Amino acid sequence: MKPVVDGLKKQYEGKVAFLLYDVEKSKEGAQLAQQFGAQFVPTFVFVNTDGSTSDQIVGEVTEAQLTKALDKLK
Amino acid sequence: MDRRTAVSVSRWLTFVLAAVAVVGVLTMTGCNSAMPTAGNVDNKTAKALADKGVRFVDVRTPSEFDAGHVRGAENVPLDQLPTALTAWDPAKPVLVYCATGARSAEAMTILTGAGFKTVYNLTQGIVAWDGEVTTAPGGAVAAGGGINAAAGGLPIMYEFYTDW
Repeated sequence: MKPVVDGLKKQYEGKVAFLLYDVEKSKEGAQLAQQFGAQFVPTFVFVNTDGSTSDQIVGEVTEAQLTKALDKLK
Repeated sequence: MDRRTAVSVSRWLTFVLAAVAVVGVLTMTGCNSAMPTAGNVDNKTAKALADKGVRFVDVRTPSEFDAGHVRGAENVPLDQLPTALTAWDPAKPVLVYCATGARSAEAMTILTGAGFKTVYNLTQGIVAWDGEVTTAPGGAVAAGGGINAAAGGLPIMYEFYTDW
């Protein structure tokens, strides 16, 4: 998943902030995951600028799915 | 037990109870004071401290810091804190924060352990920060806005993963 996410991170630089957390190593990540009700890894959560959650994808995803969710963000 | 022993025991007990009560009252006063001398603080207190020129230290990673941080804060990732603090004056107050308050709680322990007298921890982290946020030194300033403040006003994609 990492190369895909890295590629998207570059593509969306300045448009979307990418925050990646290893929930096993980061207490913070585990806490945030809990806030979003994410129980499985990987989980992707997409949050609009107004703080509302636009999408939440659980499990392995394709680049197209991620791009679609990223484009929907406002 | 004769009468004299009983009296001295009861005096001793009274003394102990009084001491416990005094300590208890002191502790409670400490917790309730509006402007704590150190410890956990909320946004309002943190802003007041910023106005007083207290050093704000963001203990998140550089990439998290670049995505958005409290205006005027400096970035010292948690793992670098033990080295960085050797150059600081332990008599001067320091406020630490991170995303949610987990890493900054550790940072507070490190600083206190190193002899820093006044250490504040922004308990809710930047995700709950409602003050000014900037993305780079001298860069654009985003108005406060909860969780997105951490991203300098941008939408966010979070990925929660683990290396299995």
